Amino acid sequence: MSDQQLNNLIKMLDQIIANNLHHGDDDKVSDVAADHLQKFWARSMKQQIIAHANQSPRELSVLAKLTVDKLEPTVK
Amino acid sequence: MLHYYDPATQTYEPGKNGLNPDFDSFSRDLGTPPSLSEEPVSISVDGREITVPEGTSVLRAAALAGINIPKLCASDNLEAFGSCRLCAVEIEGRRGYPASCTTPVAEGMAVTTQTGKLAKLRRNIMELYISDHPLDCLTCPANGNCELQDVAGVVGLREVRYGFEGENHLDAETDSSNPYFSFDPSKCIVCSRCVRACDEVQGTFALTIEGRGFDSKVVASQNDPFMDSECVSCGACVQACPTSTLMEKSVIEEGQPEHSVVTTCAYCGVGCSFKAEMKGDQVVRMVPYKGGEANHGHSCVKGRFAFGYATHEDRIREPMIRDSINDPWQVVSWDEALAFAAKKLKATQAKYGRESIGGITSSRCTNEETYLVQKLVRAAFGNNNTDTCARVCHSPTGYGLKTTLGESAGTQTFDSVMKADTIMVIGANPTDAHPVFGSLMRKRLRQGAKLIVIDPRRIDLISTPNAEEGLHLPLRPGTNVAIVNALAHVIVTEGLEDQEFINSRCDTEAYNTWRSFIAEERNSPEAMEAVTGVAADKVREAARLYAQAGNGAIYYGLGVTEHSQGSTMVMGIANLALATGNIGKEGGGVNPLRGQNNVQGSCDMGSFPHELPGYQHVNDQAVRERFEAVWGVPIDKEPGLRIPNMFDAAIAGTFKALYVQGEDIAQSDPNTQHVEAALRALDCLVVQDIFLNETAKFAHVLLPGSTFLEKNGTFTNAERRINRVRKVMEPIAGMEDWQVTMALSNALGYPMHYNHPSEIMDEIASLTPTFTGVNYDKLEQLGSIQWPCNEEHPEGMPTMHTVDFPIGKGRFAVTEYLATEERASRRFPLLLTTGRILSQYNVGAQTRRTSNSDWHEEDVLELHPSDAELRGVKDGDWLGISSRVGHTVLRAKLSTRMLPGVVYTTFHHPSSGANVVTTDNSDWATNCPEYKVTAVQVEKVSQPSDWQRNFVDFDQRQQALLQPAMESEEGSHANALK
Repeated sequence: MSDQQLNNLIKMLDQIIANNLHHGDDDKVSDVAADHLQKFWARSMKQQIIAHANQSPRELSVLAKLTVDKLEPTVK
Repeated sequence: MLHYYDPATQTYEPGKNGLNPDFDSFSRDLGTPPSLSEEPVSISVDGREITVPEGTSVLRAAALAGINIPKLCASDNLEAFGSCRLCAVEIEGRRGYPASCTTPVAEGMAVTTQTGKLAKLRRNIMELYISDHPLDCLTCPANGNCELQDVAGVVGLREVRYGFEGENHLDAETDSSNPYFSFDPSKCIVCSRCVRACDEVQGTFALTIEGRGFDSKVVASQNDPFMDSECVSCGACVQACPTSTLMEKSVIEEGQPEHSVVTTCAYCGVGCSFKAEMKGDQVVRMVPYKGGEANHGHSCVKGRFAFGYATHEDRIREPMIRDSINDPWQVVSWDEALAFAAKKLKATQAKYGRESIGGITSSRCTNEETYLVQKLVRAAFGNNNTDTCARVCHSPTGYGLKTTLGESAGTQTFDSVMKADTIMVIGANPTDAHPVFGSLMRKRLRQGAKLIVIDPRRIDLISTPNAEEGLHLPLRPGTNVAIVNALAHVIVTEGLEDQEFINSRCDTEAYNTWRSFIAEERNSPEAMEAVTGVAADKVREAARLYAQAGNGAIYYGLGVTEHSQGSTMVMGIANLALATGNIGKEGGGVNPLRGQNNVQGSCDMGSFPHELPGYQHVNDQAVRERFEAVWGVPIDKEPGLRIPNMFDAAIAGTFKALYVQGEDIAQSDPNTQHVEAALRALDCLVVQDIFLNETAKFAHVLLPGSTFLEKNGTFTNAERRINRVRKVMEPIAGMEDWQVTMALSNALGYPMHYNHPSEIMDEIASLTPTFTGVNYDKLEQLGSIQWPCNEEHPEGMPTMHTVDFPIGKGRFAVTEYLATEERASRRFPLLLTTGRILSQYNVGAQTRRTSNSDWHEEDVLELHPSDAELRGVKDGDWLGISSRVGHTVLRAKLSTRMLPGVVYTTFHHPSSGANVVTTDNSDWATNCPEYKVTAVQVEKVSQPSDWQRNFVDFDQRQQALLQPAMESEEGSHANALK
């Protein structure tokens, strides 16, 4: 995975979260965002963001990390 | 080609007598338009009883009774004019000889159409016409298809007593300035049909009758050559002309066609029906088909005239392969090319994994072809890496409308606009991009409908001739959601909602949440004024105009979708329609204007990586099982890569091979340098196209594509109308596109066997709930079908959501405005927005290879005079345009259509590099690129950009690598002809 690819994934994730903040608290927002990733992201993209979240959790926002944590169990 | 209606030939027999346009009911001209009244009136015409709607003309009633009264100035697509007097009749109890075209029927009226006096009257009139008309019938291009000649024959004209020596117009000079038709005033009978067609059908008002009496003549604009006038070359005047005064140059050169085939235009999403009028296998002209439900016999300069690309010398006529993009192309057989492609694709998967390859379907190809490409990817490649160019145009429509209304499609017919009281156009320019529908809109505006335009540019529709000026909200690029929220805020806080509709048709919880949000003061027009740049009182006026209209219709284009909040804006539009009850009825609705001919179809056919045909998610096990049972292979439950994700993965080295059918991603997608880097990183690029397009220059396999004239299939237009595409000539390289995909699949070891696209449609229908009732026999019978077409709606559904939504209740969505990251700054103080113009289409691959380039031979940068003055720029100066991702150079064109601070260009010419400066910012939900907002700086320069110089070098190199192969093709064709 290239830095550019990772940066794009993080940017996309942040955008998804920012556009769904109106759903309420962090738990609800991350539910919606994780569902979006589950529905629309390719397997490789999911695996890449999960791997990054696990390797460098501090590089993601709290909400982004929470979203990826919820996504992880759905990806095999 | 004058034909008479014979009911005996009109019966449709499935599978037997397909549509014969030369003998169907639409080939008749009934003289005047139909009356919309439902009150019946009975009359007798020459003793025949007939009942017609009140308001019908006697001329039309007679025609419906099978009696063709001679006429010249009348046509059933124009209001009656009553100038030629040939259609005079006698009416019992009335004096004189009234013109039947301007005389409405009355109960009990007894009409006589043929008496000795009428015959003499008509002969006298014809005598006068012919006394000032050249008698060169045998060498006239209209010979065999001339209404004047036909009527002279019908009235029995035998002599011209006035002679031909008197004052006349026979020496009038021909205007040949237009590349497609000529204007020969010596043959003009001043019936004014052309003038009225320009006014009533096209709505441009470019033609007038100048002078009086003998001096009367048709002129374009201020007596200008057609090419210099306001004429938009739609062809309506040519169509209307009863002589050869306005005549296609192709007919002048080649003669009258001898047969015709009805098919569907392959340009924009209006999906006009045309008669391809042929001589043998050559198209002489394309004539808009009156029976076409989308266009009703109207056309634009692209569909009507720009078909010459199909036989252009640049066409790829044989398959070619090469190992590297630095190698010359080698012409090979189909089998060799397909085996080469299959071997490379398989080797790539063996080395890099199953998900390392993918495919891009085409929004220019047919539904059947698109279906096969995504099937190839899912079944033969074994992954879901399929996407389509709708990714970069209307993917937010799919997301936004499915979320709110439950279906990823527009809600209306085009004709619905004729019942709209207020028309709101957002981020679209119909008179340029969807011209035939633009003309229909203008017709409704002339009838008094109100217009609201939300667009940074002042589009032509705003000042429609003979209509009230539209209300223009010139917002700053990137602030769509702010303005749609402000409109909704006014509707909610001023009590303009349709509470009955909301209570009965919409989800209460979602509505309450949305209502609380939208009513907040921060969404008011006053609060948003600083963001949008639009005065609050104008926004309030627009909201009231839309909400209190009666019927309010919204039409939108890529100015809505191609933003970082494209999907949010689509949902915001749906919110407006739901809040005002403008859904589920004619005259209302939410209507995405699709850019390409089959954008709707390519989305319907499962091109997106997360959806199987019919918008069925790949994650749904029951759905997958149905497809797996028919396709015989397991389907991956995970979505695949979208186009921009494919590019990122290619650059990262994990995505290595791509099959592209009929799209030019190297020119059309944003951030060209990024796209080119991705294409260069591929081990195998298979391009199937009609030309060596920009993408093909990076390819290893080039498979010849077929134009819409060379294949059978269907397109689905922006109103969900499935229309037949019928082959009028053999494919130039021997295979239609669906056959190529099938052959590639077979070469890959996944068997596909279809004998005709109708069999593919049968498979689509068996797997797609909204298509279960669609088949080719029904399409022949009905002409076209608007999906859904199934047990509930056996003949399709013109207006959607009349009773309920596919998701039960309509769902309001909260649409929080978030500013895009792409903002003007000190370094990049201007905002660039891109679009298209009338004469060119998309990447221009087709229209650039026609005379349409006479109107637009290069892309230019439009900028406001105040921005130009600040930079010392004059019209025609070379301007460097720089964004944070790239730099290109275009000529300046000063225009007050733009707001100060906003610049505009098109992307029709590859050397322009318009997408060199657009960024890879995209819509949050769908990755649709943000083409409409790029922060740029412009400055005067004296030379092309580096990218443009490299483009020229690369293009020359690739053309040189192609040249030997093209010469070999020519040789083999020459041999074949011997």
